[in-house]
Amino acid sequence: MSEHEYASVNEKLDWKKARVIVAGVDVGAVNSKTVILVDGQPYAVSQVATRAPKESALKVMNAALANTGLTQDKIQYTVGTGCGRTQVTFAQKTISEIVCGATGAVHVWGPSVRTVLDAGGQSCRVIHCTDKGKATGFLWNDKCAAGIGRSMEAFADLIKKELTEIGDIALQSEQFPKLSDFCSVYAQSEALDLMRTKVSPEEVITGYHRAMARRISTLVSRAGMKKDFVIIGGLAKNPAIVDALENTLKVHRLAPKPEWDPQVIVAFGAALIANAFHKRQG
Amino acid sequence: MNKEKIFAGIDAGHVRTKAVLVRGKEILGYGSAATGFDAVNAAQEALTRALEAAKVSRDDVAGIVSTGIFRDVVKALPIAVQRTVPEYMADAKGALFLNKNSRTVIDIGANVHKAVHYDKDGNLLDVIQNDKCADGVGIFYTTMAKALGVSEEGLSELALASTKQLSVAIHCAASAESEAIGLLCQGEEAADVADASLRFIVERVAAMASTMPLEQEVVVAGGLAKCKALMKHLPVLLKQDVTLLNLPEYVGAIGAAISYEGEK
Amino acid sequence: MAKKGSDTIIERFRSVIENPQGYAKSLHEQGKLVAGYMCTHVPEEILYAAGIVPVRILSPHVSQAMTRSYIHETYCSFSHDCAYQGLSHNYDFLDLITTSSSCIHMGEAFNVWVRFAGFAGKSYLIPYPHIIETKPAASFMKESYGEFKKFLEGFVKKPITDEEIEKAIKVYNHTRRLLKRLWELLRRENPPITGPDVATATLASQFMDKLEFNKLLEKFLKGLEAAPGKGKPGVRLMVSGGACDDIEILDLLEHLDYAVNLIFIDSCTATRYFWFEIPEGRADKLTAIAEGYISRIPCPSKDNVPGTGEKKRLRYVQQFIEEFKPEGIVFLYQRFCSPQPHDIVALRPILDKLGVPSIDLELDSTVPVTQFRTQLEAFLEILKPVVPLE
Repeated sequence: MSEHEYASVNEKLDWKKARVIVAGVDVGAVNSKTVILVDGQPYAVSQVATRAPKESALKVMNAALANTGLTQDKIQYTVGTGCGRTQVTFAQKTISEIVCGATGAVHVWGPSVRTVLDAGGQSCRVIHCTDKGKATGFLWNDKCAAGIGRSMEAFADLIKKELTEIGDIALQSEQFPKLSDFCSVYAQSEALDLMRTKVSPEEVITGYHRAMARRISTLVSRAGMKKDFVIIGGLAKNPAIVDALENTLKVHRLAPKPEWDPQVIVAFGAALIANAFHKRQG
Repeated sequence: MNKEKIFAGIDAGHVRTKAVLVRGKEILGYGSAATGFDAVNAAQEALTRALEAAKVSRDDVAGIVSTGIFRDVVKALPIAVQRTVPEYMADAKGALFLNKNSRTVIDIGANVHKAVHYDKDGNLLDVIQNDKCADGVGIFYTTMAKALGVSEEGLSELALASTKQLSVAIHCAASAESEAIGLLCQGEEAADVADASLRFIVERVAAMASTMPLEQEVVVAGGLAKCKALMKHLPVLLKQDVTLLNLPEYVGAIGAAISYEGEK
Repeated sequence: MAKKGSDTIIERFRSVIENPQGYAKSLHEQGKLVAGYMCTHVPEEILYAAGIVPVRILSPHVSQAMTRSYIHETYCSFSHDCAYQGLSHNYDFLDLITTSSSCIHMGEAFNVWVRFAGFAGKSYLIPYPHIIETKPAASFMKESYGEFKKFLEGFVKKPITDEEIEKAIKVYNHTRRLLKRLWELLRRENPPITGPDVATATLASQFMDKLEFNKLLEKFLKGLEAAPGKGKPGVRLMVSGGACDDIEILDLLEHLDYAVNLIFIDSCTATRYFWFEIPEGRADKLTAIAEGYISRIPCPSKDNVPGTGEKKRLRYVQQFIEEFKPEGIVFLYQRFCSPQPHDIVALRPILDKLGVPSIDLELDSTVPVTQFRTQLEAFLEILKPVVPLE
C-alpha cells in the first residue's frame, strides 16, 4: 500500500444495528475510493491506487470492509462511478462522476453550492448543480489539459519530494518563471530545462503550479462560474493550485470540511445515490 | 595519445545523470544518479559511483568531459569539467566506441529523443531531434509503469505478454496516457495497454528517425534500449535492422570521456 | 422481403464506408476515371460531367506519427489522417486529386499529396472565396470553375458540354433530394430507421458513384417510407461540428447505458453535404453551380457575413433545432480546429435561448471510447434525470 492508500472506520456506528447499508465505489484514473453508508451515515472510507480497474474496485471495497466484520453480501446496494465504473462488477448501477460529484458536494457543503470543480488525477471537470445536488451541466477538460493531477505526482518524484509537500513549496516563492499554460507536456519540459538557468527548484515548482492553475481556470471560465464554488478531487488538497485558482477566478471556494477528504466526495455522492435507488426499490 | 590515462565522461540528462571511466579502449566503471533538480549534485554522485565501481580514485582521473542537456551546469565545482561536448557528438563517438560498424544512433532520452548519422570516424553527417510536442517519451514510460503497478523492467515483461493490438492517441504523451488509462477502464488487459503505450513511443521515435536516411548499422542509446518489448517494435516501424549495444544508457558518457583526447 | 432487402442495402453502404479505398479501386478497375476530393466545396458536378467519378478522401483512422515530419503537430488529426492516405500510397491509382481552398489544415494535407505522395502531375487546387456572402463571390467562383473546367477538358482530352453538365447537376440534385427524404424520416416521433444508419448511407454517398448510389437509395427509401417505426424511445440527440467520419462514434451512441435517438448531424460528412440544390435548366451552368454552392450551409472556415460578423450557419442550426427538436446537442470537432470551436461560442447564446443543453467532444484519429462514453452518459443522466431525488 502506498502512502496515499488508507482505510478508516467510524467506530461510533454499529452496522449490525443498521437497516440500510449501501456503498459508492469511485474507480478513478489514479485512485479508487469507497464510501460505505450505514443508515445514511458515512461508516467506512477507503482509498487505493488504481491498477487494473476490476481488481482495484474489489481491493478498495475489501480495504473498507477490513476489520469491520461487515461483509460485502450485507451491502444492499452499490453504485459504481469514475472512469472505471464499468469494471465495478458488483455494482447494481453505474452513474457518471458528474452526477455523483454534484450530489456529494451539495451534501457536504450545503444547498448554496452551484459550481463544483472536480480536479482529479487524469481530468478536470466543472459541474453546475442545483441546491438539491442535481447536476444541470458540465464541462470536461479538453485533451490538452489532461493529466494535470498525475503530472504533480511525476513532478514530485522527479524532485524527490512528497506529493503532499509540493503544494506548500509552491506557495513559497514570490518570483517564478512563466511556463506554458496551455499544455502540461510543454510546461513539464520547460520546467526541466530551467535547471540550466539560475532559477531555483522551488521557483520552478511555483511556476509549474501557476501555469497549471491558469490552465484549469480557463476551464472554469469557459464553463461559467456561479457561486458558491467548491473544489473536490486530489488537487483540492494542493494549496498552491487552490490559491492561484482563487486569485485568477476572483472567487473563493467554500472552505474544505476537515472530516471530508475531497478525493472521496464523488464516492460519497455515489453512496448517497445508492441509498436513493435502494429506497425506491423497497 | 596516452593509453594509460583515465578519463571520465558525464552525461547530465534531464532525469538521469550518467558517469563512466574510460582508459584507452576499456571501460573501467560506470554509475548513475537521479538528476532531480540538482545537476551538480547528481554529477557528483554519478561520478562517485563510477569511481567506486572502477576502484579508481578521483586523483587518477586525468580529465573530465561533460555532455547532456546540463553539460554547462555541471562545469561548476567541485566537478571541474575540462571540456563539454554536444550530445550528438558524444552519442556518435560513444556508439562507435561500443560498435565500430555503427553509423546511426537513435538516442531515446527521458525528455528528448534524437537520431545521429555519422561516419566511421564519428564525424557528424546529420542529426535530428523530436519536435516539442513529442517531448517526454521516456518520462511517459516511467509514468505508465507506475500506473500499471510494475517496475520499469516489469513494463517490458508485461508488454511482451500482449496478445491484442490496441492503439493510443499519438499526439503527445499526455493524450497517450489519457487513452491508455481509458483503455484500462474499458476492461482491456494491462499487457495490451502496456504494449500500446510502448508502440506510441516507438511510433514517435521512428517517425522522427525516418526523416533521415538510416545507414547501417543502426543502434539505440538510452535506458529504453534495454526494454525488450520496445526494441521488438522498433525495427518493424523503422523498416531497418537494429543492433543492440552493451551499456546503451552510457553511450553519451562514453562519447564524452573519449572526447577528451581531442583537446588541443 | 422488403426488410431483408433494406438490410442488404445498409450493409452495402456500410461495407463501402469501411473500405472506401477498396470501392474507389474497383471503379478504377472497371476502367473509370476516378478523382479524389478533400473538401465538399469541390464542384463534383463538373468532374462528373467530364466522365470522372469523384470520391471523397477521409480518415483511415490509424494511429500514426509519420505525418508529423510533413505537417505540424498542432494541425488537426483529420488533416494528418488525410495526408497519411497519400503518403501510405493507399490511393496511388487515382487519376487526380483535387480540393477547393478551405481551411489551412486541409490545405496542408493537400500539399502533402502534391509534393510528397506523387500527385504533382495529377492535382488541381480550385480557388474558392473565403467570404462567400459577398457580391463578387459568385463571379469569382464562376471564373474559378471555368479554369477548372478548362483543366479537366485538357485532362480528359475532350470538351465538356453544357448538356453533360446539366445531366450531372440533375444526378447530383437527385442524390440531394433522396438524402433529404432519408433524413426527414428522423423527424418522426418513431422513425423506421436509426440515425447511425442514416449517417452511414450519407457517408457512403460521398465515396460512391452517384448513379449507383441513387439507385440503391431510391430502392431503400421505397421500403422505408412505408415501414413501421423502430420503436426505440430514447433521448433525442443532435450532433454538430466538423468532418466526423468515424462510424465507431455513432455505434457508441447506440450502445450507451441509456437509449439515444440520433436525429440530426450537422457536419460536412452528413447534412451539410447535400442540404441545398443547384439551380437546373440555366443557360449559364457554371454560375448556376456557383450559386448552388454559395447557398450551402457554410463550413465555419468560410462563414462570415461581412460588415455584420454574422454567421450564416447559425441560422441553419437554429432552424434544424426547431424542426428536429433535439433534447441535447453533442458538438464533435477536431482537437486543434479553430473555426469549429469559434462557431460553438457563437452558438451558445442561441442554444441557451432555445433551452437546449450541449456538450463538447474532441475528435482524434481514433475514438477515445472511455472519455466519450463517460461524457455522453453524464449528459444523458442530466437530460433524463436517472437518479431519484430525495
